[in-house]
Amino acid sequence: MKQKISELMDGELGGGEAAGPLTALRDEGEARDAWRSYHLIGDSMRDTGMLSAGFAGRVTARLEKEPTVIAPARVAQLRQRPRWQFLSAAASVAAVALVGWVAFGLQDGAPQVAQAPQQNPAAAPVAAQVLPPDTANDYLYAHQGYSPRNSLQGVAPYVRTVSGKALVRKQ
Amino acid sequence: MRRALGAVVLVCSGLAQAQVQAPADGMTLLRRIYEATEKLSYSGTFVYQQGERTETSRITRLAGPGGGVERVEVLDGMPREIIRTRDTVRCYLPESQTVKVERRTDPRAFPAMLPEQVSELARNYTISRGEPMRIAGYDCEAVILTPKDQLRYGYMLWSDVKSGMLLRARTFNHKGETVDQFSFAQLGVGNVPRDSMKPRHQAQNWRVEDAAVTPANLGRSGWTVGADLPGFRKIIEVTRKLSEARPVGQMVYSDGLAAVSVFIEPMSGRAETTRPGPSSLGPFQIYTREVANHIVTVVGEAPAISVQRIATAVEYRQLAK
Repeated sequence: MKQKISELMDGELGGGEAAGPLTALRDEGEARDAWRSYHLIGDSMRDTGMLSAGFAGRVTARLEKEPTVIAPARVAQLRQRPRWQFLSAAASVAAVALVGWVAFGLQDGAPQVAQAPQQNPAAAPVAAQVLPPDTANDYLYAHQGYSPRNSLQGVAPYVRTVSGKALVRKQ
Repeated sequence: MRRALGAVVLVCSGLAQAQVQAPADGMTLLRRIYEATEKLSYSGTFVYQQGERTETSRITRLAGPGGGVERVEVLDGMPREIIRTRDTVRCYLPESQTVKVERRTDPRAFPAMLPEQVSELARNYTISRGEPMRIAGYDCEAVILTPKDQLRYGYMLWSDVKSGMLLRARTFNHKGETVDQFSFAQLGVGNVPRDSMKPRHQAQNWRVEDAAVTPANLGRSGWTVGADLPGFRKIIEVTRKLSEARPVGQMVYSDGLAAVSVFIEPMSGRAETTRPGPSSLGPFQIYTREVANHIVTVVGEAPAISVQRIATAVEYRQLAK
C-alpha cells in the first residue's frame, strides 16, 4: 500500500488505480501515516518552508475561544449537561488533530494553508507548535541527565522536564 | 553616583577586596559561575518561567567530594522532588507513588565542566559582559553568550559578585525573545545542614522505575547520525529504559551548552502511534521520524532547526557480518 501511496502522490495512478489508495486514506492507519511521512520527507527534500512558528497553536487557541464555530448546535443542546465541557475539550483535541493533519499531510492540497505568510523566509524552517506525543516527558527527563545545563545550574534544570500530566497519566 | 560610591567602597575595603571586584572579562565570569556551581553549598527558592508557565521550586546543595548532594522540590502544582548524588538521580513522584532511578555508569558525563571545555564555548558563542543587576538581594554581574549562528540559543547569566553563584539564567532565541528563565527569589550561600538533604518521602512501597543505563555502541548495530551539526559533538551513547520499560538507545550531541538527544526504539511494542514531524514542549524542541521500523525521537534544548537537522541525519545501515 505504501508503494501505491507513493505513486498516488507522484500523480502516477490513473482514476481507477487511485481508488484503492484513496479509500485506504479515508481511515487513520498505515496508509495515512505513509501519506504524512512522504509529504514531510518531500517538503524536507525540497526545503519547503514550514508554516510560521506557532501557527497551529494560534489556530487552536482561536478555535478554543470560538467553540460555537466548531459545533454551535451541539453546544447549545448540551449546555444543560453537567459534563458539557468535555465536549469542548474533545473539540479542542479534534481541532489539534485537524491542524496537525493540515500542517503535515495536506500542504499540497490545501493552498490557503500552504501559502500562509512565512515570517523571515530566510530563516530555516521552524517547527510548528504542535503538541508532542504523551510520552514526551519521558524523553525530556532522560535527556536532562546529560544536559550541560546541569554543570551550569546544578539540579535546577530538572524542573523543566518533570512536569505533571504525562507522569500522572501512568497511575 | 552609584559608580562613585562603588569606587569609594572599593578603595576603603582594601586591596584584597579590590582584586575580587576588579572587572573581569566575560570568560572569567563564566568560569567563576561553573566553579561556584561545583563548589558552593547553598539553599534557596527559585522561579522558573517559560511562556505563560511560572513555577516555584526549592533547591538545596551540599557540596562535598564527588559532586556533593543536590535536592530540588517543585512547590507549585503536582509535587515532585529530585535528589542527585554523585552517581544517582532519583525523582520522587508522590501522586503516582513512583521513584525514577537513574544510575550513572560514566562519571565523565557528570557535572564538572573542565576549564578547557569552558574555553571551547567561545568557538560557538561570543562571550561578553552585560549590565549588572541586583537579584534577590545580591549584587550581580552579567555575562552574555551570543550564538554565532542560528543552531543554538543565546544565554544571559547573572552571578553574585562575591561568590560567583548563578542567580539568574535566561535563554533567548535569535530574535532576542526569552525562551525560558530561572531566577532566584531567595538564596542563602553556605551552612546547609545535612538533614535538609533527606527526601521528603520514605517511598518504601513505591514503584521503582530503574532506567538501567548501560554504555552502548549504537553504530555497531548500524545506526549513524550522518551529517554533523557545526559545533555539536557526541558526548555519550547508552541504552536505557524509558518509564514504561521500553528499551531505547540514546545518543547525546552537545556544543557544551546546547544539547540534543537522539532516541532510537523499535516500532514494535509501542502502544501509541507516533506522529512524525516537529513538535515542542516547554523550552524543548522535538522531532519524530520513522527509520527502518524504528521510531527516532530527537529532543533538544536548541532551536527547532538543529533538532530537525540531527533528526534527518539519522541513518540505519544493515551491517555486513
